[in-house]
Amino acid sequence: MYQDNKHIILIVILGLLIHKYCCIEQTYQHKEAKQARFHVAEFNFDHVADVYSITLWILLGSLAKVGFHLSHRLTEKFPESCLLIILGLIVGGLLYGTHLAEQKAYVLDSNTFFLFLLPPIIFEAGYFMPNRPFFDNLGTILLLAIVNTLFNTICIGLTLWGFQFTPIYGGTKFEMLPCLVFAALISAVDPVAVLATFTEIHVNDMLYIVVFGESLLNDAVSVVLYRMFDSFAKIGQDNLIVMDIVLGFLSFFVVALGGVLLGIVFGVIGCFTTKFTEHTPVLEPLIILVYAYLSYLTSEMLSVSGILALTFCGMVMKQYIPFNISKKSDATTEYVIKMLSSIMETIIFMFMGLSTVSDNHSWNTGFVLMTLFLCLLYRVIGVIIFANIANCWRLLELTRIDMLIMSYGGLRGAIAFALALVLDETKIERKKEFVTATIAVVFFTVFLQGITIGPLVKLLNVRRKQVEEPTMSAKLTSRMMDHVMTCLEEISGSGGNNSLRDKCRNLDRNYFKRFLLREKPEQTVDIKLLKEFKSINVRSAMRVHDTSKGLIPNSSSTAMQQLPSENAFRPERRARHFSDIATPNSPQRTVPDLMLFESQGTDHQRDDAKMHRFLDSNLPHARRRATMHLRNQDELAGVEDELNSRFEKLSHHRDLRYVPIRLTREQMHAISTISKPSANSNQSPTLTATPSIHDYSETELTPNQNSRTKSNDSDIVLTPNNLRDKSSTAAERVRPWRRSASSDDIELTSQALPKSTSKNRNDPNLHPRDLTTADVSNSYRKSSEHMSEDAAATNPKENSSRLKASDLLDKQSKNSSNQPKNQANTVA
Amino acid sequence: MGSNKSALLSEDDVQIICQETGFTPKELQRLYARFQELEKKDPPLGYLTREELLNIREVAVNPLGERLIDVLLQDHGETNKINFRQFANIFALFRRDKAPTNLHKREKKLLFLFNLYDRNHDSNIDRSELIEILKLMVGGNVNDEQISTIADHTIGELDVDGNLKITFEEFCGTLSKIHIDEKMSMKFPS
Repeated sequence: MYQDNKHIILIVILGLLIHKYCCIEQTYQHKEAKQARFHVAEFNFDHVADVYSITLWILLGSLAKVGFHLSHRLTEKFPESCLLIILGLIVGGLLYGTHLAEQKAYVLDSNTFFLFLLPPIIFEAGYFMPNRPFFDNLGTILLLAIVNTLFNTICIGLTLWGFQFTPIYGGTKFEMLPCLVFAALISAVDPVAVLATFTEIHVNDMLYIVVFGESLLNDAVSVVLYRMFDSFAKIGQDNLIVMDIVLGFLSFFVVALGGVLLGIVFGVIGCFTTKFTEHTPVLEPLIILVYAYLSYLTSEMLSVSGILALTFCGMVMKQYIPFNISKKSDATTEYVIKMLSSIMETIIFMFMGLSTVSDNHSWNTGFVLMTLFLCLLYRVIGVIIFANIANCWRLLELTRIDMLIMSYGGLRGAIAFALALVLDETKIERKKEFVTATIAVVFFTVFLQGITIGPLVKLLNVRRKQVEEPTMSAKLTSRMMDHVMTCLEEISGSGGNNSLRDKCRNLDRNYFKRFLLREKPEQTVDIKLLKEFKSINVRSAMRVHDTSKGLIPNSSSTAMQQLPSENAFRPERRARHFSDIATPNSPQRTVPDLMLFESQGTDHQRDDAKMHRFLDSNLPHARRRATMHLRNQDELAGVEDELNSRFEKLSHHRDLRYVPIRLTREQMHAISTISKPSANSNQSPTLTATPSIHDYSETELTPNQNSRTKSNDSDIVLTPNNLRDKSSTAAERVRPWRRSASSDDIELTSQALPKSTSKNRNDPNLHPRDLTTADVSNSYRKSSEHMSEDAAATNPKENSSRLKASDLLDKQSKNSSNQPKNQANTVA
Repeated sequence: MGSNKSALLSEDDVQIICQETGFTPKELQRLYARFQELEKKDPPLGYLTREELLNIREVAVNPLGERLIDVLLQDHGETNKINFRQFANIFALFRRDKAPTNLHKREKKLLFLFNLYDRNHDSNIDRSELIEILKLMVGGNVNDEQISTIADHTIGELDVDGNLKITFEEFCGTLSKIHIDEKMSMKFPS
């Protein structure tokens, strides 16, 4: 603990020192021109001044974040946003003290904010938006976003204006239009702040999506209102005519629908482009990001809602693009988006703290307090009214506690602040008061509400986010329920969400997917179910591999080394890992030599099959441990047991958190003994009979077992038949295990997609992104070739070898069957 | 609506069924109208058959449509026929109550799901039944071996006592985390 504190302090101090040094450097005046001589090295700060300071800011922000998370205690109590603002305040104080704050670069520039800082955050929100809760609650969200914001704006504006006739403001006069402008910018809930806070408190999805959806969609309203009142203020209150107001009202539709349309159009174009990027996978992330950014810029250009455009662009892209692009590109895109949004968020909060310390303020106690009070009051009133209205049609009603959290979660943030700074002081005289009040409200909400909402949620026992266990049965039943409910809704004639969703899905499949995807979507195949199975398979396989390193039969280490080429992020690390356990006869290091694999022939197939068996036999032991996709390591602590976290640090697996399987000694022994005889044999029989999954759970070995073992032999191979012969990317085309019988599972494991840690706010369970139809179909295609080749060859020998091995295993499993069962029980 | 169909239920019927099911009279009338709409027999006999239910296009294309109709007809109606009272009772199960969660209902919904699997009524889901459902849901393009692997995996997850069949208790155990009541409820227009 003390060490952690020391670390933070060191890092922060370091950051500050670097920063200060460079600031001081910036004020160097040009030295007088001396007689020019040759300089060996020059100090040329002007050359890089701007870029240097930006980079330093980014570095400082990142170091600060790193530092904060080193101390678990700190992040437990304070949300990140608060800490960052405090840091900004400190730096701002320093700069102010050394009179450097006059430099414009150190105040939040609205242009920078809206053009550079905001878009990545919004795009990330849109891309990782959990679709289903969003559309299920769309009615509520729209109602809140539009009507509630309008209500808040009008009420706050008029009340603030009204109060100027009382002595609260100390005599300062506020006109109506400026008040309305101010109300427009202060009443909108801020997505950045909501994101920053709500991710850390893990409320249930519905509540989260209602608040967050509201914060995103209210941009349309607040932009319209802000612009409307701003231009009214420019026109002058006396010059207004009814026409202006009507036009203002119309502009709402234009802004909202225009934004949505632009976003969708750009999203579709982006998806369509990725249809053709098969040969240039490296460009794919770039294309995605560029199209998204273009949608934002275009909508800003046309003065429609950029936030809406970005959100919907992200949502559209999320539906189709992951199917088109290569896995690496997919992972890269996601990670880049996350990285950008994270750093932008950090910078925004720091800048807010920094900009607070400036001369741009004018403190008017009455006004500030009034604003604060009214914001809170009208938020609560608004939520109560509109939530109750929404409850009329909602299936799942919003309880009082939900309403409380919703009103408490109405945080204001940087957007309001940026908008306040842009106000034209000539037209709006009270700009400074407004800025001060905005900052006060933002600080209040971020600090007070941000810090207390966590404990409040716990206190009120709000339903927390369910970390869904990725069990096959749960997924299966869930899908079944969907189908059943759709059907029932159809029969009863009451069109509910389910049937609507189904219709959309069909429409989607029949028209959009055909147009936008590279490969035709398979009819009637429940892709999600298969995906889920594959991902469970993959996770289990990885778990098994990690626990049993050193026990993997020697010659199949070559098979494992195929994994690096597909692992999106850690090829080097994983290969090193393997080479630790690799036997002397495996020459590959980091990059598998593909030619070697192709020439391996039957040996290779045999090894693969062995690996298959091995993995398969251990699958059920990889039991239900919730894979918690968490934003950072801190959230782990206290959730998992020590062994787990230590294990993870060992295996460098940050992304997938899982319990290692503890194979007992007997099991390990059994497995290694199986592998030995077949390692030495020259025969082709590939299917050594490791016991089927049932063995470990049965104490008595019935005759059924053997028959099942037989039937399970071909289980491993996932071979559906008629899929189009289309290879995806170049990298994937060069797959060495084209000819191996049981390549698929290897491919599964190799396609281990440690998708970058998805943040909690984007429920990973609601949009399984692990494997795509492209992958599925690819692996199927390849195995279909060999299935026919090898089936004949492998079948005859099966029986003999199987019985031997299974006898061997019977003895072992009798002893060990109790133990794994106990383990399984304890794990589950 | 056809002019030859009787418009409304009799008052007594409405009373009885409303009491049984908890529907409001308006909702019930609406449901009855739908019932009549579905019945294609002439003259209407007051019950629905399998064919009439399958006539609904969305039911026919739904992967579990036929199976669901089986459940409806066999478990909740008489074989191959279902009259309006039974019809209403089924939907009463899924009706969204304003009242707090009825534990009874949750069990019944789970039983409904369980029966979808368990067609031979031995109160166990065994492997073949699971495979049937999987095949229906996943579609025709997937190989048998893969389906059996999935089935085995699922049984492995669920099966606590190791008899390779899933009993009702084990089934419920999985679903403890999923909010059945919310997922499986409908609003009825009135």
